[in-house]
Amino acid sequence: MSPVLEVRDLRVRFGSMAAVRGIDLAIERGQTHCLVGESGCGKSVSALAVMRLLPRGAKREAGAIRFAGEDIARLPERAMRRLRGDRMAMIFQEPMTSLNPAYTIGSQMTEVLRAHRGMGRAAAVERAEAMLTRVGVSAPGMRLGQYPHQLSGGLRQRVMIATALLCEPDLLVADEPTTALDVTVQVGILKLLADLKRDLGLAMLLITHDLGVVARIADVVSVMYAGEIVEHAPVGQLFAEPLHPYTRGLLRAIPVPGKVRRGEKLATIPGIVPRTEVGFRGCAFRDRCEFATQECAEPVAERVEGAHHWRCRLASGWLEAA
Amino acid sequence: MSAAIEANGVSAVFNQRAGTFGVRRRVVAVDDVSLTVPEGMALGIVGESGCGKSTFARLLLGLLAPSGGDVRVGGQVLQAMDRQARARLIQPVFQDPASSLNPRRRVGEIVALPLRAAGVARSERRERALSMLSRVGLTPEMATRYPGQLSGGQRQRVAIARALVLEPRILICDEPTSALDVSVQAQILNLLAELRASFNLTLVMISHNLAVVEHVADEIAIMYLGRVVERGAAESVFAAPHHPYTKALLASVLTPEPGLGLPDLPLGEAVPDPANIPAGCRFHPRCPVAIPRCATEAPARGDVECHLVQSVPT
Amino acid sequence: MRTVRRLPLVLGMVVVGFAVLVAIFGPALVAHDAFTQNLAHRFVPPEWLAGGSPAHPFGTDQLGRDYLARLVLGVRISLMIGLTAVVLSGLIGTTLGVLGGYFGGWVDAVVMFIVSCRLAIPIILVALTVVFLVGSSLTVVMLTIGLLLWERFAVVSRSATRQVASRDYVAAAWCAGCSRRWIVLGEILPNIVHHLIVVATVDMAIAILLAAALSFLGLGVPPPMPDLGLMIAEAKDYMFFKPWVIEIPGLALFALVLGINLLGDGLRDLLGGESGG
Repeated sequence: MSPVLEVRDLRVRFGSMAAVRGIDLAIERGQTHCLVGESGCGKSVSALAVMRLLPRGAKREAGAIRFAGEDIARLPERAMRRLRGDRMAMIFQEPMTSLNPAYTIGSQMTEVLRAHRGMGRAAAVERAEAMLTRVGVSAPGMRLGQYPHQLSGGLRQRVMIATALLCEPDLLVADEPTTALDVTVQVGILKLLADLKRDLGLAMLLITHDLGVVARIADVVSVMYAGEIVEHAPVGQLFAEPLHPYTRGLLRAIPVPGKVRRGEKLATIPGIVPRTEVGFRGCAFRDRCEFATQECAEPVAERVEGAHHWRCRLASGWLEAA
Repeated sequence: MSAAIEANGVSAVFNQRAGTFGVRRRVVAVDDVSLTVPEGMALGIVGESGCGKSTFARLLLGLLAPSGGDVRVGGQVLQAMDRQARARLIQPVFQDPASSLNPRRRVGEIVALPLRAAGVARSERRERALSMLSRVGLTPEMATRYPGQLSGGQRQRVAIARALVLEPRILICDEPTSALDVSVQAQILNLLAELRASFNLTLVMISHNLAVVEHVADEIAIMYLGRVVERGAAESVFAAPHHPYTKALLASVLTPEPGLGLPDLPLGEAVPDPANIPAGCRFHPRCPVAIPRCATEAPARGDVECHLVQSVPT
Repeated sequence: MRTVRRLPLVLGMVVVGFAVLVAIFGPALVAHDAFTQNLAHRFVPPEWLAGGSPAHPFGTDQLGRDYLARLVLGVRISLMIGLTAVVLSGLIGTTLGVLGGYFGGWVDAVVMFIVSCRLAIPIILVALTVVFLVGSSLTVVMLTIGLLLWERFAVVSRSATRQVASRDYVAAAWCAGCSRRWIVLGEILPNIVHHLIVVATVDMAIAILLAAALSFLGLGVPPPMPDLGLMIAEAKDYMFFKPWVIEIPGLALFALVLGINLLGDGLRDLLGGESGG
């Protein structure tokens, strides 16, 4: 089966700063692909590039973006607009970025259906209500008449998800959808996303910085660092045997109740993320890596072992050797 | 061990008005909370947004006068002390270092500010500020930079240096790592642990992140809608939570363990609103095990405030 | 791209800078005196019109005074009025606004009440009364405008102060034991000053126009002092026969006010971007 979304060698730059430095992604139907990394690693920019929503000043340089077999990298903006909100949809950390505070929930949701599906008013309202019910919003009829500011954070997030899914898209891009929410609400939203993915056969690209979320919801994980995917593997493999020193450092830096003894020092990654100019060579992690050698200043080839890809000079089994 | 800081029946009530002609709302952010932190201990306060934990932090810092009860530091009522004396005893570290550092001042001036307020001479200020910067892992060159030129982790180090430059006894940390990346969070947590030991600090750590609190705190208080619903030694609360809310909160911690999937949280959808606190047990609309009594009768005061938990062995 | 966005700022700086130079050095450089009448040489047209003479590049007015000398002095007086009015109103408005914004509660209520009262006062009528009572002079004009034009400063500094006062660094300074005075002057003021600079330019343009309007009505700078407004007023009787006598001060006033406004716009974009709005 061909993937719903396939990205090849995507590059984005802001002026002389290379924000995304050639990433590959492939997401199949019914798969949740998590793009994980720390702030500034280029994960959100990658998502926006896929949706062709890059801000002014950002320039996509190379790369193919194939959506359902069609290259959309050079699609005219009009056609792109027809695609967005219809067959590919995006949700954000802050629902108010996509909900308009001046319109009721109902008018925003029905507008989507009328624009993309040409539905009549009554049918659109009915569909919107059904969708709100599906995402677990109680009293959907009443919610349709309310304005976004009248809803709680969790409810707003559900409304945004419902709006994104109205046209039954094939691809859902979710950028930190639960970061602003309380932990108990987060679990509910993640469960909803997982259910919807399964029931609607969505391909989901989930951007997050939270490895806990990744572990519980992802099928496949790509770890980004300084604009590159440094490691890519099925979720179980990645957490059981991280092969890139950065991934390993990241996993060890999280306090896990019951795992790290209280009062014991947490592992840290020294230093800071480098600024990668266009034309940066070699491994971007080398300045912070305890295993770095002179070799790391040269371009690093990707290693592949089964479904596990990583971009490091170290072969698998290096941990035991070290 | 004597109490470093204690809250005696502290409340914070606000009268909010939505717009000029809006309806008056009486918001009870903190409702009659009593807590004691012994000298040298670390208390973790955990709760979700709107539970009153940040208001409680402001009460402990004296930034807010309590509507009822009092906060005592070393036995003295905080509000009755003059601010210079308070500053020597208790200092804050806030969540977002981008907002807690004055963008128009250099790092050196920011760290030296408490000394300046205390009337320390210029040369001594400089010396102490620089030595504090090195204690938190920053180089002396950083002193001439502006906060905007630093990374998030470096800024939080600056905020910690400012808090410790007067060598206070108590540090109130309000979500000190929530705005930081994971790897930086670990650095800051390690730094806090190290400084706590060397300065013999009493720590109050407020967070929504249970894992962070678990790593740092000796004792834990769980807040819900303005009240502490469960408190106890960190180990026992994590190992054997009693209150249904604590259980739900613990269950919702997503540890990085694939294969566990997403936990089932049988919590109701009701949104906690401090302007409209439910009668009876304030948690009952969301509680999976509520009985009729919970809707009418507030549970007895204690370490665990729940009708279904009779007595907790301490 | 960037230069296009900076264009208003550059243009404003050029115009205002030129006007300031003219105001400072102009009167000393112009050969003629602005007050010397020469009734034999009335309405000499400017140099570029037929009958003009290089002796009077901008011509002469109805009393034969050199128009360039009067214009240059007029720019100086208009700028002086603008500057004094802005300094005065800035002090009053910022003090009120910062107090209201920082202390809130009843202090804020009082400040807002004073602002409302001020807004209910028509400046022209007050000026009329003042001139009637004490007579008109440059000082009276500057004081009247300065004492009446502070409401924008008050409103802007109040809301900016409220915003800044809720930042954690103000809370941290409070916890550090800093005095209220320090918090206001050392923590809040430096972080709202960029808003105030923008207000200052807007108010300066308004003050200059207001002074011109007062002069035009005969309530402002008393003749023979040349203020741009007064020059326009004196020229209005002759405008159909000698249009340049009104065109020259009119254009100068227009350019000056436009320049100040462009400068303000440019500064707002420049400073606003830095602090994120």
